[in-house]
Amino acid sequence: MAQTTVASEYSSEVHAEPIEHRFNPYSDNGGTILGIAGEDFAVLAGDTRQSEGYSIQSRSMSKVFDVGDNILMSANGFAADGDALVKAFQNQLKWYHFNHNKELSIHSAARLTQQLLYGKRFFPYYVHTILAGVDEEGKGAVYSFDPVGSYEREQCRAGGAAASLIMPFLDNQVNFKNQMDPSSNGTKKKELRYLSLQEVVNLVKDAFSSATERHINVGDALQIVIVTKDGARTEYHSLKKD
Amino acid sequence: MNHDPFSWGRPSDETYGSYNNAIANAGNVSAFPKMNTQQPIITGTSVIAIKCKDGIIMAADNLGSYGSLARFDDIERLVEVGVNTVVGMSGDISDLQQVQRMLEQLEIDQSYEEETSALRAEHVHEYLSRVFYNRRSKMNPLWNACVVAGLSDDKPILRYVDLLGVTYESACVATGFGGHLAIPLLRQKCDFEAEYADISLDEAEKLVKECMKVLYYRDARALDKYSLCRIDNNAEKKVTITKDVRCEDMKWEFAQHIKGYGTQVV
Amino acid sequence: MVGKDCVAIASDLRLGSQSLGVSNNFEKVFNFGHVFLGLTGLASDVTTLSETFRFKTNMYKMREDRLIEPETFANLVSSTLYEKRFGPYFVGPIVAGINSKTEKPFICGFDLIGCIDFAKDFIVAGTASDQLYGMCESVYEPNLEPEDLFETISQALLNAADRDALSGWGAVVYVITKDKIVKRYLKSRQD
Repeated sequence: MAQTTVASEYSSEVHAEPIEHRFNPYSDNGGTILGIAGEDFAVLAGDTRQSEGYSIQSRSMSKVFDVGDNILMSANGFAADGDALVKAFQNQLKWYHFNHNKELSIHSAARLTQQLLYGKRFFPYYVHTILAGVDEEGKGAVYSFDPVGSYEREQCRAGGAAASLIMPFLDNQVNFKNQMDPSSNGTKKKELRYLSLQEVVNLVKDAFSSATERHINVGDALQIVIVTKDGARTEYHSLKKD
Repeated sequence: MNHDPFSWGRPSDETYGSYNNAIANAGNVSAFPKMNTQQPIITGTSVIAIKCKDGIIMAADNLGSYGSLARFDDIERLVEVGVNTVVGMSGDISDLQQVQRMLEQLEIDQSYEEETSALRAEHVHEYLSRVFYNRRSKMNPLWNACVVAGLSDDKPILRYVDLLGVTYESACVATGFGGHLAIPLLRQKCDFEAEYADISLDEAEKLVKECMKVLYYRDARALDKYSLCRIDNNAEKKVTITKDVRCEDMKWEFAQHIKGYGTQVV
Repeated sequence: MVGKDCVAIASDLRLGSQSLGVSNNFEKVFNFGHVFLGLTGLASDVTTLSETFRFKTNMYKMREDRLIEPETFANLVSSTLYEKRFGPYFVGPIVAGINSKTEKPFICGFDLIGCIDFAKDFIVAGTASDQLYGMCESVYEPNLEPEDLFETISQALLNAADRDALSGWGAVVYVITKDKIVKRYLKSRQD
């Protein structure tokens, strides 16, 4: 056989099957988020640290967004998926305005989020999502989602890296779990009541400073967004940077 | 005798006939499945950058490594886009060059739309993050980590995007080994976003040069020849890229005492 | 948990085999004189170790003609666990007590091979450790009186255990002062 070039046989040193080393499309960017609903307001808070492994990528990345129509959204976990989900939501919201010319209610926003998440059921967004807003009766609302779209309306929810540290604290301090009415001598549960905005903000700060102390992926700064029927406002507080 | 070293020690075709691919389901080369980038081939190491009062300093060395082989020493990894944006890229060089062509095309398409270039750093970053995220979602990533630096409304913009589509913004950004070796040094000057206003361009340039030196000392895939980008809001030409900058004033006396691995025996 | 001249130690009462609950009266706190040992983890190792320490502390009592002190016991636990460095007991021990001589409160925790974690405030262990860290870090304050310490440790344990599928089914709390030990059982969610 006539060959025009001298064949180097290295070209045939190819494996019959690709090497079993798959690209991993996910990573964990740490961070934690927390949503609490009050009587006529809701807060959604998150730390501003973004990390990968033991490296802190940024100390100042907000992950709680005012997506419009008085809805706060945060998707915590794999940052790229979180951003993609928020953008997909904002895009859908824009089209909702074009098509219906009205505001999107918080319960519809929750259903939309479920559709977006479940739409990627077999290649999920690797995020724990929380929505916060004010419902049609003017009451504070928090909705939380698992990565594939199961959701529930709740009084409060922590998500992300330090969720397991914060959640029992919230049960105790927001829903008064395991607390009794002091005058009943342990026969009656402490009655539920709405917390004031100041109480909620203080709880959020305590929850985050505790989580920062014990979780390496939580820290730097705390972003608290408060939403009422009149709009959203943001405050920042510093957390430990170590 | 077959003089190709690849054939040495193998059964010769004259004696045994050609290799039967059917044995043990070895398959044949032509039936090879479609392959996506599963690992980088020629790679570039760290890109480092820091924001300062009037702009940004960014640097990336000129080495293209083939595994541990220092294969190319003249790779340019800082790419100018539009009038006041520079993208620094590490990771796979062929993917880098494809991204470079995509950015050129973006610039051309943009110029058809508008007379004056409206393409700014945040747009370039948004574009890149969408491209990278889409490719990762197709399980066919562009194997790079990029730093986008530029000016927007006279304010410095410094953002990152990588092969997973993960993005962030920070006062100091570094890819690869730079994240471990350079970031701690850069953060000594500028730990929190707001602090960048206290650093002058010259101070930042000195710091980045120091970091490139540290990287050359300790990153085995780094080179002492690099490109340095200076984005200065007060200058006539806002972006200047200086090529073939060398690491200077290095001390290598310690090297002769290193024993126990490599070629020197204890 | 450490308070003002007092310490408290508590555990839940559940024994389970993965998600199956087996017993609701499996106490995980043992005492050897005035030293208390909490042991979570593999139940057979919990029993084996508690018996081993009963034996060892009894031997110590006979040799020394006095009870073992918390600090000494902590080192006994550490060395006993490290003996099994390459085939360890699967446990998460914590020690609490008041030194009878100095009257100083003492607590510490260990990993499964005996690395001691001396702490001034609180120690947690077990399947609900994340939840306990979150609770303790936010409800604990130093220098609590015994009754307040009881309330604090109880709330921390109860709320943490309620957020862990593998913990709960009742709890037991010991509040230890230099001349009194109060043991209380707590009711909790039974799911």
